[in-house]
Amino acid sequence: MLAAVTLGPALYLIVTSLTPLTPVNPDTAFDFSDPAGNYTAILTTDEFWRSVWVQIELSAVTVATQVAAGLGLALLLDRPSRFLEVLRTGFLVPMVLPPIVVAIIWKILYTPDISPLHHLLAWLGLPIHSLITNPDTAIWAIAAADTWEWFPFTMLMLLAALQMVPKEPQEAAVIDGANALQLFWHVRLPYIRPTLMVAVLFRLIDSIKAFPLIYVLTDGGPGGATQVTNYYAFEQTFSFSYWGYGSAVATLMVAGVFLLSVVVNRLGGEAIDE
Amino acid sequence: MSRRLPLSEGAGVLILATVLSPALWLVQMSFRHNADIMSTRMIFTPTLENYAALWTGEFPGSFVNSLLASGLSTAVSLLLGVPAAYALARWRFRGERHVALWILATRMAPPIAFTIPFFLAFSWAGLMDTVAGLAIIYVTFNLALVIWSMRGFFAAVPRSLEEAAWIDGCGVWGAFLRIALPLAAPGLAATGILCFILSWNDFFYALILTRTRAMTAPVAIVNFMQYAGWEWGKIAAAGVMVMLPVLVFTFFVRNYFVSGLMAGGVKE
Repeated sequence: MLAAVTLGPALYLIVTSLTPLTPVNPDTAFDFSDPAGNYTAILTTDEFWRSVWVQIELSAVTVATQVAAGLGLALLLDRPSRFLEVLRTGFLVPMVLPPIVVAIIWKILYTPDISPLHHLLAWLGLPIHSLITNPDTAIWAIAAADTWEWFPFTMLMLLAALQMVPKEPQEAAVIDGANALQLFWHVRLPYIRPTLMVAVLFRLIDSIKAFPLIYVLTDGGPGGATQVTNYYAFEQTFSFSYWGYGSAVATLMVAGVFLLSVVVNRLGGEAIDE
Repeated sequence: MSRRLPLSEGAGVLILATVLSPALWLVQMSFRHNADIMSTRMIFTPTLENYAALWTGEFPGSFVNSLLASGLSTAVSLLLGVPAAYALARWRFRGERHVALWILATRMAPPIAFTIPFFLAFSWAGLMDTVAGLAIIYVTFNLALVIWSMRGFFAAVPRSLEEAAWIDGCGVWGAFLRIALPLAAPGLAATGILCFILSWNDFFYALILTRTRAMTAPVAIVNFMQYAGWEWGKIAAAGVMVMLPVLVFTFFVRNYFVSGLMAGGVKE
């Protein structure tokens, strides 16, 4: 039954991706006259390749900032203290908030009329134009919001990992005169590396699914500047009713995510074996 | 180690305050008069007019839909998943590794990949724009989470207690219901809450698979933005309403949250 629930839709998706299905024309449902048609169309469409590039940019930036911020804060807060434990709960807030609420919060921050951020910058003598209506900055605005939402995830995972690092080697390293950087690099990092890899994998995969932020903040715009592949598939399917085409894009995405997880898993495995 | 920044408490508080400030801004906005919303003066007369305005529109209905879809999917996932998890924890199966893989697959696959087949199947089965249809989608994801996390909780219950119950004449079901389940109750509560939050937070499926009758609260908020003009006060109030249950529940499961989100990703 488990398999049916997951595999059923997957098979249906692949079948649909081989047809030119569109609800406007019911005859297209099981028309397999040109099974590879959608795929050749996708691979020769600039808009698709652009969406892949936007996706790579967004994923690379958000994963990097989330890991950097998460690791930095985890190291800062990793002390046995009742107070810091309570503080950690507060950091859960951005990631548990309904994503749509996160999107509203950032829509407010990015709308010059009502944004405390814009007011503050104007007051400091540094007025800026809206970041989400400018094609050059829109993707970074999304990345900033996404980082805010998800750095607590990497932070809490890494905190848990840091607390599992045995005390003896750390004490030995301090006695041997290791400085804070050496202590981190040679003693603690090897212990937390597997967790770090899992965090990267999870964030990377989730970054491909990012939807509410883009839907509310930019709607894929301006001019496709924030149209990631997921959004491209959504628009093609549900705005333009190209069901077969959208299914083919979605199938490629599933294949991409699968490959990605295999690669990261292997890299992670090597890192652990070292 | 102990020489490290004596300031980490102070820095932690400052950083946390900065991180939370955008969310707090939303909260204070929800209590402002509409005429007052553009102003940056921090002193204002709070009002409940935004919440009152919500009460008269379609928002309460969508809020109830959210509660129903999330509650229903949580109940069904626990009902199906808990016995399955118990079986997995107590008896060896060949498919054990497949369960982990399945969980990872449902966790990894982009929702758009599920939405297209579900949309087609739902249109055909008359499940479009129904709370039941939405709950079915959520069950497919929550079930994986329930089986994975409850298996861990059952594995922590000492086996000898159930064996004693068998000797005393309890059947397998009796031992499960009277011994294992009560002992795993805290885990059960945490798992249920986690399922509820994940369903409640969904936006994508609800956006595509509901129209008007079964519209959930997150979709209703977006409708304010698109059709009702930019009534920021109302939008902020709706946002606060939607995040409130999540914040309350999160407080209870704060220690399980991260491990719940990683379900299937790490070996026990």
